[in-house]
Amino acid sequence: MPDEGRISPPKLDTTFQPAKNTVLVSHGRPPWYGENGQRISDAFVVGIAGTKRCNSSYVWQQLNTVCPGLFFFLSRFGILFGLSTQADRAVAKPMFLGKSFYKRHTDEELALAHASAFDFDHPDSIDMPLFAACLSDLKACKQSNIPVYSFVTHQREDEPKYLYGAAIIITEGIMALQDPALRDLYDLKLFVQCDTDLMLARRIKRDVEERGRSVSGILEQYLRYVKPAYDNFVLPSQRYADIIVPGSNNTVAIDLICTHIRRKLQERSNSFRHKMATPHMYTSPSGRSIPHYSLEDLNLTVLPQTRQLQGIFTILRSNTSSRQDFIFFVDRLATLLIEFALQYLPFSPRTVITPIEAAFTGKALSAKYVCGVSILRSGGTLERGFKRPLMLHVMLPVCVRKRHMAEETWVFLLDAQIGTGASAFMAIRILLDHGVKPQHIIFVTFLVARGGGVSVLRRAFPDIKIVTAGVDDVMQEGWIDGSPGEGNPQGRQVWTMLPGLGKIADRYYL
Amino acid sequence: MATVPAPVPPPQPATNQAQMNPLPPSVFTLPQTAQLEALYTIIRSKETSRGDFLFYSDRIIRLLVEEGLNHLPVVKKVVETPTGATYEGVGFKGKICGVSILRAGEAMEAGLREVCRSVRIGKILIQRDEETALPKLFYSKFPQDIAERYVLLLDPMLATGGSAMKAVEVLMDHGVPEDRIIFINLIASPEGLRTFCTKYPQLKVITGWIDLGLNEKAYIIPGLGDFGERRYCE
Repeated sequence: MPDEGRISPPKLDTTFQPAKNTVLVSHGRPPWYGENGQRISDAFVVGIAGTKRCNSSYVWQQLNTVCPGLFFFLSRFGILFGLSTQADRAVAKPMFLGKSFYKRHTDEELALAHASAFDFDHPDSIDMPLFAACLSDLKACKQSNIPVYSFVTHQREDEPKYLYGAAIIITEGIMALQDPALRDLYDLKLFVQCDTDLMLARRIKRDVEERGRSVSGILEQYLRYVKPAYDNFVLPSQRYADIIVPGSNNTVAIDLICTHIRRKLQERSNSFRHKMATPHMYTSPSGRSIPHYSLEDLNLTVLPQTRQLQGIFTILRSNTSSRQDFIFFVDRLATLLIEFALQYLPFSPRTVITPIEAAFTGKALSAKYVCGVSILRSGGTLERGFKRPLMLHVMLPVCVRKRHMAEETWVFLLDAQIGTGASAFMAIRILLDHGVKPQHIIFVTFLVARGGGVSVLRRAFPDIKIVTAGVDDVMQEGWIDGSPGEGNPQGRQVWTMLPGLGKIADRYYL
Repeated sequence: MATVPAPVPPPQPATNQAQMNPLPPSVFTLPQTAQLEALYTIIRSKETSRGDFLFYSDRIIRLLVEEGLNHLPVVKKVVETPTGATYEGVGFKGKICGVSILRAGEAMEAGLREVCRSVRIGKILIQRDEETALPKLFYSKFPQDIAERYVLLLDPMLATGGSAMKAVEVLMDHGVPEDRIIFINLIASPEGLRTFCTKYPQLKVITGWIDLGLNEKAYIIPGLGDFGERRYCE
């Protein structure tokens, strides 16, 4: 509802040239939180149970083909936190209940497993409490570190897999509906029903053709493990399901489910960038108009406006500056800014002995972990300045990915400017989702538009520190010509800062 | 070409005032943040490795050079931004030149070059004459037009101030007016600073930290030892 509560539509006819850059990924994750910074709802969790060989994994594959982009993971997150592509792909697939969450085995069990005599089909082989804990973190839009189970060693690996950012989570496996704690977490429970004769036929066909096993061996395994598990655990869990899906000829059922999930997904995406860009043109939900924030209310920490700083800004703002000059002075400003921002880290007293044997009581950094997170792409221009002071802390992202470390981490969040503040808003939300304390977030930026999104940002996150080199006055609304978007006949709506310094990233990188 | 008023000196923190109160009006120190104190703590420690010493002293030098440049004059300048708006800013005015006092001063040249890409750099070699115990000029080489330039005089330590005063004397002999010289150093002793500022009251001094004083060998206490030695040899 982009026009809700709007006081007066601006009558600016400013137009801009189409942007040079093309966005290739069309389905990022839209904001999953409101203007107050809190998330609007939990992630949508689907549990799919069914028997082995009943093609329950076929069901989610169908889901994926029927509505591609259903599993929403902002590709930008991947870069932001240095997720490997492998991990990215793992998120884009549903997680297999049994595979990740087999318990850590004792030596005895390990011997059985290597002799193919361990009952993996029993619910006790799965670490249900850990699974429920991970799933409830993911449901609450927090990060989770999922254990990895190796079928080579038949053991849980030491390094867990980091997952974050899904709007829809699908759990699939024969025991998916088994545990009451898990069932409570599902928003939609499916059971894929399949004829047991058909299952056995498929099993024999696969094992004989692909694995070269004997029919009698297959039958023995079937009767000893698979059938009892099905009868005792899997089939009874059917009664918990919301929907029972046939194992074949099920296109209608899948279509229904897809429509439902798609609607849930829409409910979970928000858009209020236009409100952040020009907050004074909208009313708050309570009907009052949002007042102009004074500079003091915004609580910005501004770099002392020295002659050199003014000179640097003059060069950066000029549209006649050469690329070389622009890059050089951006780097110089970045160094000044980062050196300035570093004083907001915690320090404690430390006494050292100088080479002439005199004692000096000074200070030492007392933050346990410090890391920088840049918002792509324009935040990258600050990275150079950042590299200087913090070369010593290289193993960074880990301290945000693991929650117990994230709580003690100080994060420098880097972005070139806060205009609408939308990306800053999202980045801060992500860090908070990871358990970083708001007092430990230092947002470092070249330029802030005080009439823009920073007031919304400040209201939602009063405790973060915003360090900026300069403050501009307003955001100007305009349209990009020639690319009319959805429901936007005039073209894509953009906001620019005035007087501003243009598109920093384009001038720096292109 | 209206000139912009000089910046207000940053508030002087207690630690520097404890050593010297009041500061001479021509002396400017860096804002003594906990962060800066932490940098000094690292380079003062005798346990610090050479790599760390280089890295952290370079960071302080960069800050000092940036502060020194703030004392150069600027002129009003109006530019058009890429968004089409006009912006009233300032432009840099006047040519500059760095002069390093060998050998420790050379360590600060790189910091100056990082900020002013094509800056010209002159050199002065001054050593103490063992017979008279007075500083003696051994070598100097400056850009030809040094008399028309603002000079950033670089020497990391100001102990007795003898060699710095000799260097200023040489510069003035080459026609550089006193008020066009800015002396940049990392650590100064109150004694040296007092002597220096009494002799050259027009000359601006940018110092990172004012220490307790001098010992009998004229080393700054607590200081950081011999800067040149730690930077180039140890």
